[in-house]
Amino acid sequence: MTLVTWALLALFVPLGVAAFIGLVVPLRRTGRPAALISVAGALVSLASAGMVLAGGSAALKPGVHATVGWLTAGTATAVGVHLDGTSAWMLLVVTLVATCVQIYSLGYLHDEPPPALGRYFTYQSLFLFAMNTLVLAPNLLQAFLGWELVGLVSYLLIGFYFRKPSAAKAAVKAFWVTKFADLGFLIGLVTLYAQTGGFEWTAVTPAATFVTLMLFFAVMGKSAQFPLHIWLPDAMEGPTPVSALLHAATMVAAGVFLIVRAEPLFEQAALTRDVMAYVGAFTALFAACVAVVQSDIKKVLAYSTCSQLGYMVAALGAGDTFAGYFHLSTHAFFKALLFLGAGSLIHAVHSNELKDMGGLFRKMPFSGTVFVVGALALAGVPPLAGFFSKDLILEAMHHHGLHVPLAALAIAAFLTAFYMTRTVMLALFGTPSHAAEHAHEPGIDMKLPLAVLALLAVGAGFLGGPLAGLTGHDYAFHFTPVGGAGTAIGLVGIGMGYFMFGPAQGGAAIKRGFAPVGAFIRYGLMDRLATVAYGIMLAVGAIIAWIDRYVIDGLMNWSGWILLVLGRRLRALQTGNVQDYVYAVALAVVVFGAWGILR
Amino acid sequence: MMERLFFGAVATVLIFSALMAVGTRNLVRAVLWLGLTLATTSMFYIMLHAPFLATLQLILYTGGVLSLMLFGVMLTRRSTEQHGVEVHNESNGQRRALPIVAVAVGLIVTAVGRTDLSTATPAAVSPETREIGQRILGTHLLAFEVLSVLLLAAMVGAIVIARRKDASLEGKDDPRDRAAALPGSRLSSERET
Amino acid sequence: MGLESYVLIAGFLFCVGLYGILTRRNAIGVLVSVELLVNAANINLAAFAHFGRGLDGQVFVLFTTALTVAEVVVGLALVILLFRRRKDILLDLANGLKG
Repeated sequence: MTLVTWALLALFVPLGVAAFIGLVVPLRRTGRPAALISVAGALVSLASAGMVLAGGSAALKPGVHATVGWLTAGTATAVGVHLDGTSAWMLLVVTLVATCVQIYSLGYLHDEPPPALGRYFTYQSLFLFAMNTLVLAPNLLQAFLGWELVGLVSYLLIGFYFRKPSAAKAAVKAFWVTKFADLGFLIGLVTLYAQTGGFEWTAVTPAATFVTLMLFFAVMGKSAQFPLHIWLPDAMEGPTPVSALLHAATMVAAGVFLIVRAEPLFEQAALTRDVMAYVGAFTALFAACVAVVQSDIKKVLAYSTCSQLGYMVAALGAGDTFAGYFHLSTHAFFKALLFLGAGSLIHAVHSNELKDMGGLFRKMPFSGTVFVVGALALAGVPPLAGFFSKDLILEAMHHHGLHVPLAALAIAAFLTAFYMTRTVMLALFGTPSHAAEHAHEPGIDMKLPLAVLALLAVGAGFLGGPLAGLTGHDYAFHFTPVGGAGTAIGLVGIGMGYFMFGPAQGGAAIKRGFAPVGAFIRYGLMDRLATVAYGIMLAVGAIIAWIDRYVIDGLMNWSGWILLVLGRRLRALQTGNVQDYVYAVALAVVVFGAWGILR
Repeated sequence: MMERLFFGAVATVLIFSALMAVGTRNLVRAVLWLGLTLATTSMFYIMLHAPFLATLQLILYTGGVLSLMLFGVMLTRRSTEQHGVEVHNESNGQRRALPIVAVAVGLIVTAVGRTDLSTATPAAVSPETREIGQRILGTHLLAFEVLSVLLLAAMVGAIVIARRKDASLEGKDDPRDRAAALPGSRLSSERET
Repeated sequence: MGLESYVLIAGFLFCVGLYGILTRRNAIGVLVSVELLVNAANINLAAFAHFGRGLDGQVFVLFTTALTVAEVVVGLALVILLFRRRKDILLDLANGLKG
């Protein structure tokens, strides 16, 4: 079998599965069989993606292009698959995380009624198809199709508990915020078509700045960049595995992937790249601040996702595509791990709130350990996955002379380490809450994906070299002052978080490991300094959270209100009197008649 | 000369009766003035060498449509009695309608004046009715068939619309009360006050 | 008589009908005015058929006639429905769709 065949298999098996379990009537309602079929489909898809990657790193380098004509009226466009290092690796990441999440869901959604379970897995398979459509897209048009499809599935899955009003609202909010952003994609596509007569990734056009700005607007919606990030925290209303797959690892990263793919276009637009660098860095800092004061473990992770996506966007803005892409893949692994780990904590205590957890490490050593691994990887502790990619991004910012974004990202790195430590301390150590007393480890179906992802969170950083070779970049890890400083900042953040939330609440094993750090910080002046710094951080976080809640959300509400008032005014035109309408028609006829006759 | 006089007379009757049909307050009279307008139109058809159309105009319009409208007026008689005889000259409507109609007249005169219509000469022989029939069943067969479907739909639609919704209520009480009890009418009577 | 006389007369007739549509309060009065409009159009069609030496104009008059009959039938059915609901057929009072 050729590479293309494998890729098509990875693409269409999930679609077939979705159609099969969704349409063959009794299957969806039986739940469990549908779920198992879906998992099997995901496994086939994963194996195919593996075959693509294993089959030919030599063949992948020039890129394999296989398309069929579509919408051939006028200028021909095409759909099909485009395989090169970038898409083949992304395919593997997507199918791997999706498979892990699906297996995990078997345990996590065990108590759902069968029809709901069947519905869930139908959406999951559909998502895999949609995401692969996007990943394998040979041109921007197919990417747009996949882009819209994942948006739809995201809406369906956020609203999975659609009887809950907040979930239904969150789904609608996510849908219209991202759809609003997608207008940019559409405008960009149309402009590109008008300029070049096609939708090629590698198009060369003088309008590149406008096109890429429009595309980036869509990316801001999909990848939750400020100020269009407002839907992502609400999207946590969906089941936790959904948050892990769509709203952390793959779908929100689609925006980043789009920019990576359209690199030739973005290279022509210096302005867009600057905008990206600043928007990304600001989002990274802003979201990290907000994450510090969240009380809901999923909200912490959601804002963390915003923040990390900001890193990727900033790296792409600096022009270092590989740094962004590398961080995308490592982030996919450790953030999925964190979400799934958080999911098993939530599953144990039946609450998202950090205050309902506490002391869970003793009850759930396995889940606790993998969560800590994920947190360390996110904080950028060597030699875990986040360390390599985050340092690479900081280094890239430094290399391209973007010092303001670099500073923002460095502060964000500190905050990231800090809030993850806080989360770990509050959730896993400290005094157990009442609910935590009865917590117990999940079953094997939830443990297995956690173990796989934990291994990847530890080891994915070492894949940087091969990945660079695959995608035609040049990368070898070497120590740099900037990267070292970033790591040091992260370690300080961890120490600070540990100091603030650790000692009073036990967690003996970890505590002993950090004791020297704690003693150092506790010494003399550091004590007060840390307290003040924490107070400032808390205040800033609260202020920014308030701004997010009222100013940015308010801006959106305000625009809605304007439309409402406008509508109320315009309503007066509708008198309900038939003759007024006839009068309008007569007026129009006379005006157009006059125009036609007297011209 | 005679032809001019005749045309002028017919045109005067046509416009005058149309004005009366639009202007008179009594609805029955308005419908009857419309009948005169329609009949005069058939005179035009004769002058235009279209005797078949003239006949059809008399039979269909003056016979069918006119009596249908008179039925309509009779059936809704109480309305005009209640509100006095048809009050149609709402000053508001008149004030805004007149300019638009004036402009429309001006536009039509301008258009006719600017277009060179005088070179067209009338046909010498009038076409036979047989040819019209052949046209309908030949070139315009599809339109003809579609039209028959439309007429059927209009018939069915008219029956459905005008039919009483609940047959069991019929004759039990005064229809006026029943109409007042409908939610729609109550709403609109509130609006009126 | 030239073509322009017919066209002008038809135009005047049309304007009279337009005025009626805009000012009549009574629904049947509006239907009467619509008849005037259609007649104006029919005169035009017949005139152009005569002066253009074609037959299609006359055929079209037949079609519009049939259309008008359908319109009157449905229109009167609506009027009767309106009357049954509201006890009057005055259009400016039937503004239940007021926004």
